[in-house]
Amino acid sequence: MLAQELLDIRFALRRRGIIFAYSGYVTESVLTGLGEALKQKLTMEDASTKTMRSVFAVFVEQMQNIIRYSAERLPPDAEDEAFTLRYGLLTIAQENGDYIVYTGNLVQRADVERMRLYLAEINGLDKKELKTRYREQLRLGPGTLPRSAGIGFIEIARRVSKPLKYDFVDVDDQTAFFALKASI
Amino acid sequence: MENIRIKATNRSPAVSFDFARHHLRIKGESYPEDVLAFYGPILASLDAYLVSLRSGRCRCDLALVYFNSGSAKALMLLLEKLDEAAARGAAIEIYWYYDEKDDTMKELGEEFGEDLRHAAFHMEVMQR
Repeated sequence: MLAQELLDIRFALRRRGIIFAYSGYVTESVLTGLGEALKQKLTMEDASTKTMRSVFAVFVEQMQNIIRYSAERLPPDAEDEAFTLRYGLLTIAQENGDYIVYTGNLVQRADVERMRLYLAEINGLDKKELKTRYREQLRLGPGTLPRSAGIGFIEIARRVSKPLKYDFVDVDDQTAFFALKASI
Repeated sequence: MENIRIKATNRSPAVSFDFARHHLRIKGESYPEDVLAFYGPILASLDAYLVSLRSGRCRCDLALVYFNSGSAKALMLLLEKLDEAAARGAAIEIYWYYDEKDDTMKELGEEFGEDLRHAAFHMEVMQR
């Protein structure tokens, strides 16, 4: 039974074309390790250099967004970022010749509207406008190195071959689950 | 000035700033865990060096195969510092190497290059 249960999960993933799945607390070392495995896997797939780098770039930005912004964290009231664990889900699938990077994590419901607006705006930009926005974001706060999810989403949008898909579903009074689909 | 020599890791590039020879080089992949911790000291040394450079010459080679959005900010700051030094009279040559199989890095190079007003900026195909 045990083997069957796990095998069922594996089959369910495979049916969705998922070649890579992680669900759990994400740390920088998880990013490093998964990143190495992903690189090896992509090399074996014979994907073009540009595709490989784009999938990898999207993977890095999405993982870093989880590490920095997931609202599901341990301990819940942690003040020191270095000792905070943040939960998220990331899968990489192959669908009709595209690589798809899916991520999901909790966000504050209070942030949902702002995120929706921002993602809709990014999705409405063509490659040239994205380029301009990327530069504008880089220039925010001259002389400093700020943390911002904003530029991460722009970097993702620059790398994808189709518009981003995203969705939110309320989980409780405070939080909502945010899902993002990036196709390369 | 103390030269900078940092070996590449799987998340950070090799950095070699040979101030005596006026040759700065960054090569590899850049998505460090903490961008500020990695680039902060490099940028601080660069500042000190550029003040002492005055109207001297300096060459900077950037050969990156991938950098994340956090690193982009640090690279932009680095280029701005070089451009400011060039504005003050230094002869700065910047070479941006890109993999010809990945036009994203070429595009990013062009974008960074467009922002420079005083330093000479060259794009070259990376030798594999």
